[in-house]
Amino acid sequence: MKTSKIDLAIIGAGPAGLAAAVRAKELGIKDLVIFERDERPGGILNQCIHNGFGLVRFKEDLTGPEYAHRFIKEAKSLNVDIELNTMVLEMTKDKEITLVNEKDRIKKYKCKSIILSMGCRERTRGAIAIPGTRPAGIFTAGKAQRLINIEGYAPGKKVVILGSGDIGMIMARRLTLEGIEVKAVVEILPYTSGLLRNEIQCLRDFNIPLLLGHTVSEIHGDKRVEGVTVVKVDDNGNYLLDTKQYFECDTLLLSVGLIPENELSMMANIPIDSYTRGPYVNDYLETDVEGIFACGNVLHVNDLVDTVSKEGEIAAEGAANRIKGKFPRVDKTILLKKGENIAQFVPQKLTMKKSTTLLIRVKTPTGEMKLSIDGIYKKRFPYARPSEIIELKIPEKEFQNKNILSSELKIDCQESKNGDSMHSLS
Amino acid sequence: MYDVVVIGAGITGSMIIRELTKYLLNVAIIDREASPGFGVTKGGLSFIHLAHFCPPNTLKARLCLNAPQKFKRLAEELDVTFKETGELLIALKDEMIPEIRMRKGWGEKNGVKGLEIIDSKKVKELEPNISDKVMAALYSWGHGLIYPPEFCFALVENAKQNGADSFFNTEVINIKKEDDGNFAIFTNKGVIKTRYIINSAGIFADEIADMVGDKGFKIVLTKATMAIFDKRVSSFVNHIVYAGLSSKHTQMIGPTAHGNLIMGLGYFVTPESKWDTKVTKDKLNEIIKLGLEMFPSLPVGDIITTFAGIRSENLMVPDGDFYIEYSNESKRVIHTIIGSPGVTASPSVASMVIDMLSDAGLNLEENKRFERYRKPFPKFSHLSLEERNNIINENRKYGHVICRCELVTEAEIKEAIARGADTIDGIKHITRAGMGRCQGGFCSPWVYKMLAEELKVSPKGITKKGKGSFEVIGYTKGEDENIEN
Repeated sequence: MKTSKIDLAIIGAGPAGLAAAVRAKELGIKDLVIFERDERPGGILNQCIHNGFGLVRFKEDLTGPEYAHRFIKEAKSLNVDIELNTMVLEMTKDKEITLVNEKDRIKKYKCKSIILSMGCRERTRGAIAIPGTRPAGIFTAGKAQRLINIEGYAPGKKVVILGSGDIGMIMARRLTLEGIEVKAVVEILPYTSGLLRNEIQCLRDFNIPLLLGHTVSEIHGDKRVEGVTVVKVDDNGNYLLDTKQYFECDTLLLSVGLIPENELSMMANIPIDSYTRGPYVNDYLETDVEGIFACGNVLHVNDLVDTVSKEGEIAAEGAANRIKGKFPRVDKTILLKKGENIAQFVPQKLTMKKSTTLLIRVKTPTGEMKLSIDGIYKKRFPYARPSEIIELKIPEKEFQNKNILSSELKIDCQESKNGDSMHSLS
Repeated sequence: MYDVVVIGAGITGSMIIRELTKYLLNVAIIDREASPGFGVTKGGLSFIHLAHFCPPNTLKARLCLNAPQKFKRLAEELDVTFKETGELLIALKDEMIPEIRMRKGWGEKNGVKGLEIIDSKKVKELEPNISDKVMAALYSWGHGLIYPPEFCFALVENAKQNGADSFFNTEVINIKKEDDGNFAIFTNKGVIKTRYIINSAGIFADEIADMVGDKGFKIVLTKATMAIFDKRVSSFVNHIVYAGLSSKHTQMIGPTAHGNLIMGLGYFVTPESKWDTKVTKDKLNEIIKLGLEMFPSLPVGDIITTFAGIRSENLMVPDGDFYIEYSNESKRVIHTIIGSPGVTASPSVASMVIDMLSDAGLNLEENKRFERYRKPFPKFSHLSLEERNNIINENRKYGHVICRCELVTEAEIKEAIARGADTIDGIKHITRAGMGRCQGGFCSPWVYKMLAEELKVSPKGITKKGKGSFEVIGYTKGEDENIEN
């Protein structure tokens, strides 16, 4: 077995890894490799043939493959080395990785820095334990997307979609365009779990029925799905059995959440936030293991690829500084804690050495509200939905100028009452 | 004309067909499913028990004796997974104490050695996460863990290697005894003639018995629910732990042969039909509740899949003992009507059936060319880094990981197909591709393509578990398999 030395290893050539590689090259890191499991770079974008990518970053409406292509082209022009069909099997705290591919067989790399950009996987039927039989015809929405858009397979003729995540809603439209009948999108919560624009453009515009506060209580069929029973649920998630409806269908698609793929991170004993299910990171997106950074959906599930790319760049800047020995000395780190109506956020720690943008998700929808960091920094927002990340920019000077003694600060989302006024509106 | 036809390729039938190929006989196995072990066997537990689970002086107690050793040897010959583990039958309540003592007594009468009653402190040492309510436990070592569908597949493959024929997707419609004492088995695929029949059709054994003229065979079915946990929480439980064990329910959690945790079975219910393997929300909640009684901090959020299995007992013998007898109509038909623990007993059931065939007049001449070793099937995930490096040198496709969760390579999936796995579940059972935390989300498109390519079928010909269980309905556009068809 060979062991090589390398400055920077990037694990995963999706949008986060590609952006990280490009930025690291620009910052003068020459000795870097991206390791990618799939046969082509681009990650999940390759199967996202719908538009809506790059509105923030490029001010253009691109498809997933187009967005990926911009970074792949740039990576190529900067001679970024991408090892395809290569799986990283092990990673240690000492930044040693072990990989496998057909060419190198088993190979080890000792790295100065590592950027984790492995993305996420879909929650499955088993994980949410839908009762019923176990026939063919049950797909996660992303798998169905790959089957249709990459392989050209039609998964079925009549479909019910459980869960209103973005991929589920996008697939509702995609299936309809392929002439496949989408009977309903069923969501257990009283609101959709994806972006509002997808609810409008993918469901309403195509007259696809959306059943909020409902779930699939039983899957029918022995060999292949023959139908599903859908029921209303009460506030505690209990089935209201007198609301049973039967939908005849041959396919059930699941869009019930994404889980960051942190098996390698856990192998290296990197502490994981149980809310984001990604590593704890500071404002450089450095994990609790010095020199290992995380970005994109392995860090937390993002709404937009634009923020994923941005995270890749931030991670690359941190990694480049580590490799060059120019990482700023951090005397004090502030740990951020979840307060009122906060579901999750990244980064969880602030070094206060740079300006940063907190990406925050709330627990329940609210109207006008303010986000407050322990009263020290506040900002008002017109509304909040759990499905939409809120970006809270904190300028570099904001905390430096205030002599913060506490090592912990709490983030709250406080719904505005009438007459409540604030001065720090921006 | 076959000498012997085995009906049913569950664990019992698979053991019998392989045992039969040790003799110079013309033999075949038939099953209605697409692959060995696709029926009740795949929905069962994967524990090879010691004999303290069976009341003394029963047939099943005798057949279960030394089962782990038998499985260990078979696993070596067949190159399949076998692991050894310990078991704790714990008492969380006073009324379990006499139960523990009784089981110890059973075990000792049945010839099991090394059974020990341990106090709560010792139990806590062995299982740090166990409930503080634990009072004592019956501890034993030397239980086996296998994966029954993988075992069935390997047994049948080895039997075929030694000359047996197999007919899958083949359903027995009727059996006719002919004037010469031989039998004609009518199936959906044609007529098969044989001198002897072994009825190891499991929950369908009553229907087969009926066809040969044995009326009134009664099989009682119960249904049980199970949940599988992510491998990352495997170290949460170290032994097979039972907290309750009766004809009404089983409260259990333990390791699987592949390093997951499995939990079940709950209070048994009567299934709606022989096909009813539906999981209900109530039963799922029940097994979680029972699991939490044993391990209060059980990581239920790490359940990756759930399923229900059918258990069977018969009413021909008291107390649910096994019924392994000649037909009332002819000594040339043997019924093997078993129940729990059927997997554990299966090697001895096979030996017993051979003796009964001999007594019934079948001439058993040793097959000197019997090859007991199945062609090795190296599993990438089981190998050390050095071994992985070497195997990729021999076959580059061992360097291409297809199933990332279970580390299954292209070489293994192709090998599985070459050995006869022709469905998604079949490949899953023998390679574990699709069995991990993402449940095939990433690898199944690859597996579809490989199956279509190797079997030379259209996408529509790819099935989960045989006829009717098609995975996709064809191409979205063009070609001959348009969705309008």
